[in-house]
Amino acid sequence: MTTQVEDVGAVSVDPFQSYAPRPNHYDELFGPGDIIRPHWKMFADLFRALPVDRQMSRVARLNRLVRENGIADDIFADLTKTDEPWKIDLFPVIFSTSEWAWLERAVTQRARLFDAILSDIYGPQDLLRTGAIPPLMILNDAAYLRPCREMGCGAGQLDFYAVDLARSPGGTWRVLDNHAETPAGSGFALANRVVHSQVAGDIFRALNGLRLAPFYQKLQAELMSRVNRDDPLIALLTPGPRHEDYFGHAYLARYLGLVLMEGGDMRVVGNRVYMKTLEGLKLVDLIVRCVEGGSADALELNPNGFLGPVGLMQAVRKTPNLVTNMLGSAIIENRGLGRYLPALAKQLLGEELELKDAPRWWLGDEAGRAHVFANFNRMIIRRAREGTGRPGGAELGRNPAKLPQEQAAALRADIELNGRALVAEEPVGFATTPSWTPQGLKPAAYAVRLFVARFGDSYHVMPGGIALTVDAQTGVSLSSSEGQTRDVWVTSATEVSNHVSLMRPPIEVSGVQRAGKGLRSRAADNLFWLGRYTERADSTMRLMRAALTRMRDEGAESQAGEAVRKALAAILAKDYAARKTPPAKEPLKAVESLVVTLMSATDRLYSLPSTLESAYRVASVLRDRLSIEAWNTLQTFQTNPVWRGEATPGGILDIIDTLDQGVLTMAAFNGMIAENMTRNPGWRFLDIGRRMERTARLSELLLALFGEAQDDDSETSGLLFTLEASDSIITFRSRYLFAPVLSLVLDLLLLDETNPRSIAFQLAAVDAQLGALPQASQSGVQTEEQRMILELLTAVRLAKVSQLAQVGAGGSRPEFKALFLQIADGLPRLSEAITRRYFNLTEDELRRVYSRNTPRP
Amino acid sequence: MIFELSHKTVYRYTAPVAQSHHLIHLAPRPADRQTVSRHTIIVEPAPAARTDFVDAFGNPATILTIEQDHSELLIHSRGQIEVTARPKPDLTATVSWSQLAAELGPGPGPHDLDLLQYACSSRYARPARDAYDYARESFPQGRPVLEGAMDLTSRIYTDFKYDPKATDVATSVSELLRIRRGVCQDFAHLAISGLRSLGLPARYVSGYLLTHPPAGQPRLQGADASHAWISVWAPETGWVDFDPTNNLIPSDEHITIAYGRDYHDVSPIAGVLLGGGEHKMDVAVDVVPV
Repeated sequence: MTTQVEDVGAVSVDPFQSYAPRPNHYDELFGPGDIIRPHWKMFADLFRALPVDRQMSRVARLNRLVRENGIADDIFADLTKTDEPWKIDLFPVIFSTSEWAWLERAVTQRARLFDAILSDIYGPQDLLRTGAIPPLMILNDAAYLRPCREMGCGAGQLDFYAVDLARSPGGTWRVLDNHAETPAGSGFALANRVVHSQVAGDIFRALNGLRLAPFYQKLQAELMSRVNRDDPLIALLTPGPRHEDYFGHAYLARYLGLVLMEGGDMRVVGNRVYMKTLEGLKLVDLIVRCVEGGSADALELNPNGFLGPVGLMQAVRKTPNLVTNMLGSAIIENRGLGRYLPALAKQLLGEELELKDAPRWWLGDEAGRAHVFANFNRMIIRRAREGTGRPGGAELGRNPAKLPQEQAAALRADIELNGRALVAEEPVGFATTPSWTPQGLKPAAYAVRLFVARFGDSYHVMPGGIALTVDAQTGVSLSSSEGQTRDVWVTSATEVSNHVSLMRPPIEVSGVQRAGKGLRSRAADNLFWLGRYTERADSTMRLMRAALTRMRDEGAESQAGEAVRKALAAILAKDYAARKTPPAKEPLKAVESLVVTLMSATDRLYSLPSTLESAYRVASVLRDRLSIEAWNTLQTFQTNPVWRGEATPGGILDIIDTLDQGVLTMAAFNGMIAENMTRNPGWRFLDIGRRMERTARLSELLLALFGEAQDDDSETSGLLFTLEASDSIITFRSRYLFAPVLSLVLDLLLLDETNPRSIAFQLAAVDAQLGALPQASQSGVQTEEQRMILELLTAVRLAKVSQLAQVGAGGSRPEFKALFLQIADGLPRLSEAITRRYFNLTEDELRRVYSRNTPRP
Repeated sequence: MIFELSHKTVYRYTAPVAQSHHLIHLAPRPADRQTVSRHTIIVEPAPAARTDFVDAFGNPATILTIEQDHSELLIHSRGQIEVTARPKPDLTATVSWSQLAAELGPGPGPHDLDLLQYACSSRYARPARDAYDYARESFPQGRPVLEGAMDLTSRIYTDFKYDPKATDVATSVSELLRIRRGVCQDFAHLAISGLRSLGLPARYVSGYLLTHPPAGQPRLQGADASHAWISVWAPETGWVDFDPTNNLIPSDEHITIAYGRDYHDVSPIAGVLLGGGEHKMDVAVDVVPV
């Protein structure tokens, strides 16, 4: 059989010919005698058939997709830092059907075993009492949550399980780590697959690779089946965007159709958990927990842990299956357990343990310590349990041989004092798998994480996973400082069913929903600011472009110079820091320095880099609400150094080009929002934000340029500039054939409610949006913010342009100024009123109180 | 001795509290030589939900949730408790500390998990080098475990100054060792941390102490306070209490409320509030012999 994946062009170099794994060292691609293993054969054939330039272009495409999808790392990380980039290897790890069948059996056996162990630890504790598990190992571990014991959850403890595996150089599998706290990490695996299949999907299909989508559909159906309610609200509880796994949480939530929530988005009332929404509190039916269990309830667990809603434990007492995985499940991650698992498998399951842990010594007993001290320099010492679940994030541990003498002695003393919290092991080494590098195909040491979920009564392994390149010399865990990841393919002997779309739930669980699950107050707040920041960036770019175009066309000495300077200075004047530096006298110099500041200053609140950065940040916590295209569009600002203020802006013409692109990109973003976002309250807040910002910016500009009358030429020049900056010059020209005068420009930009750029248009739109919001529309009485917007709108509508343009004593325009000052004063108050009514739930500050034991002796 | 107990706590907030959750440990637990004949807790405003339960350490505990706006909260615990005197234990007739430490934990059991948990690390009392060094002086090789505990109790009493302003609820043992002043809670944490560093089980006791007014003066209303001390285990005696703040072995003038690994497990009142601004707390405790 031959399968063609792409047109075969130029003759390609065979990358497999130069592949040279270490002799007598297990390699995934090459079997004994350096022969390609059978289940890799077709991959190799298809890859060989690709012309070299196609091979290279696939790598480039892969890198671009990784960047654009934001897998890279947490969004608040400094994007310019490159110390831990997320990279996907062009080459996957491929497992044969038979190997996978064994792994599936072995890994689900471990899930069953850990489930039974959890039932005992949070139940009768016979395993601890009899010493089948050293009691001090468990009792000393902060992941053992005492209050969870008397809740009597019984069996059904472990719903999500993940395991880090490595093949030894000899070829046998061993377990590096177990993950039972959260399903986190599977979001990364999913994202990797989605990205990788865009460059290698043709080969994947040709190989009959197993798809992930059916697994997640079953998972989704499983979660729905846990809830006895139509249209349930299932939360994915995340620590929030500052957490390193946030990307994975957001991705998983969107994929499974869960509502991404932080502890602050929830409230416990009457021992039930609710989501805080614009419409009020909504009952949460099930919580998929992606936060550390110990920090999930500040009342009964870690007093400083506010990752879950306060009172969660009480809610779980009332509804034992409310949270999955159950609180306290992380205890089985303790690395000391491995040595006891074979006996436990016999005792609890009546089975031989198929997949053993890396040989490891718990340092909480004399036997372990004695062995480790006798072989001290060969050992790697690590914490018995680690917090992080991020793939590749495991700590490397300390090797006494590599420490200065006094530190090695301190480590020894630490083991004697605190050994119960430590484990030690000898590095065994890792098998290799091919890695695609610019220098060709190289063998790389690797480890892999597989994911397990419980459907009904049985455990199922996701047919894939995530593999990482690890350091073969020092590594004993899935720690990857280079962040080199690869997809995991499982080949199927049988026919694979038709492609099931990834982002779509199966029909039986989808149901028609018009209104969504209700808008979290926090999301409403962020959408409002996304509207404001994107509009702010847009108007600043338009203003600068208009300024520079006039400078280019008319020269700096022209009448336009002064208007342009004033307009630009007005933006920066809002920023307190700017007032300290007086502008240069000469218009050209002044404009130049203003442009450079606006274009590149990262320490100015209203500069483009700061504004775009703010827009990016609020957008990134809204990723579950934005379409992938809208998000990618906004990201182009973040990936281009010019917009981050890191590249020199260049000359006037370069800057104009850059601004042209910027305005276009923003228009594309706004277009996608306008075309794709449903007209729900979320969209309304975004629109209110945008319209308020546009009103503010246009009022500022008009006030800065025309508050004081000037000579006719300057005024005309200023008016032309204003029309251009507010994208209304064509409209003006189509109505009037003469040079602009203030009263007519004001009619167009202030009063004309058919002009989508006019202030009256913005205010009328805000008024309409506020009226359509849930809290406003329920009663006939106008809310505070509705009255405020009406007041502003009426003031504008009643204004007479001829009177506004009138110049009074001293050369200023009193009515003009009064109106625009009223707008400038009213907008922030309106913003505050909206915040008070709609976003206030997010302002709740939790605080702790204690009483102390303090006698007077 | 029979005591009439009253422990009244009033929180006043500068801004209304929209919702509050409190976990309270105010009801005296069953203990050796202690009988609780009656006990009640009054809360104002009335909580929307109140759950009474026995916590993981066997202490009676209550969770209160108040759902209405309030700017004042009253929690009043009252009861009558009888405590009988304990004969002074023979401290020298206990096993050597290092033997006890070595025998706890390993092997096939059966293990006393309730005992073992008190030998383990906890939030405020974990094994630490400095606490180990401090405690080790009281435990030369072969010394009976309770004799060592008494010596440690006396040394803390001598080395540390009682000063309610020097520390707060979150002060660490290392910080206490540096500043050498604190309150009963801090002294208990130091002792427990030191004992656990040696591999010995020790627990935190929250309770009350009968105070004696200076000779010739009347007892002042509400002048007593809650107190904390420690308890150390030996196979020959079971748990024996030691009070480092007063350098003594409690007998019938100490009332026990709760046992825990440290303060965090048995804090008399721990609350989480929504809103509330600043708060002021007034406490009045009366322990009156009847």
